[in-house]
Amino acid sequence: MNSDLDLGLERIIRAPRATVWRAWTDPSRLEQWWIPAPFRCRVDRLDLRPGGAFVTRMSDDGAEFLPHLDACFLAVDELERIVFTNAIDSAWRPASPAPVAMTATITLNDHPDGTDYRIVVRHGDPEARAHHAKLGFTDGWGTVVAQLAAHAEGMR
Amino acid sequence: MVSRMAQYSAQLDGVFIALADPTRRAVLRRLGHGPTSVGDLAREFPMTLPSFMKHVRTLESNGLIRTIKSGRVRTCVLNRERLALVDDWLAEQRRIWTERTDRLEQFVTDPKENRQ
Repeated sequence: MNSDLDLGLERIIRAPRATVWRAWTDPSRLEQWWIPAPFRCRVDRLDLRPGGAFVTRMSDDGAEFLPHLDACFLAVDELERIVFTNAIDSAWRPASPAPVAMTATITLNDHPDGTDYRIVVRHGDPEARAHHAKLGFTDGWGTVVAQLAAHAEGMR
Repeated sequence: MVSRMAQYSAQLDGVFIALADPTRRAVLRRLGHGPTSVGDLAREFPMTLPSFMKHVRTLESNGLIRTIKSGRVRTCVLNRERLALVDDWLAEQRRIWTERTDRLEQFVTDPKENRQ
C-alpha cells in the first residue's frame, strides 16, 4: 500500500460470511446500503465476473436517477473476494473519474465472531490528471504541498 | 450532496490546474514565507508584468491566493485552506468507505437479514 494514495479498512462484522456476500451480490440488497440515506440507490448492472459491469445510480427524489458509479469488476471469487475499478467503465472504455480513479479490493474471511471484512482502495495519482491535461507539470504538486506545509508549520 | 460533490470536484480540479505551472508553484512557495506585494513578486520572475499578472489571476480565481489592495499596492496572501483540499480528498474517500461499511454492517446484522 502507498499511504499517500491508498486506504485500508478492517472490520469484524457480526454476521456470517454468506450473509455479507449476499448483501454485496444481490442487487436489491446492495441498493439498501451502498448509498447513504436519504438518497436512493438503483443498481443498473451487477455482472459478477471479471470484466463484468458494475453500474449504480442515485436519486434524491426517487424519480430521477443520476450516475453514481460506472465501473468494471476485475476479480470475483465466490464468498471470498470482489475487486472492481472505475479506471475503466462498464463498457471497458478508459475513464477519468473525479477526483481520481480507484481500484477497490474487498476480502471476506471467516472469523469466530462472524466475518473478517477488509477493504483496500488504491487510488491513481492526482498528479496524473494534470499530466493528462498537458499542463506542463514538472516537479509535482506533492513537493509543493509538503514545502508549503513545512512553511505553514514554521509560521505558527 | 450531488451538488456539493460536484462543487468539491470542481474546486479540486481548479487547484490542480493552478498547481500545474512552475511559475505559479514558485509564487505559492514564495507566499509560503508570508504575504508579498505583486510588484515584489513580479521582480523575482523573468517575464513581463502582464504575463505575470495572468498567473496571479489564475491562482486567485482558483482560490489558492487572495489579493488585498491597499492604496496602490496589491498584496498576495496564500489561502492554505484551499491547498488543504489536495490532502483532504483521501480523508474524504476514507469517510465514504467507512460510512459505507457502517451501513453494510447494520444491514447484515439486522435479524431480518439473517432469517434463512
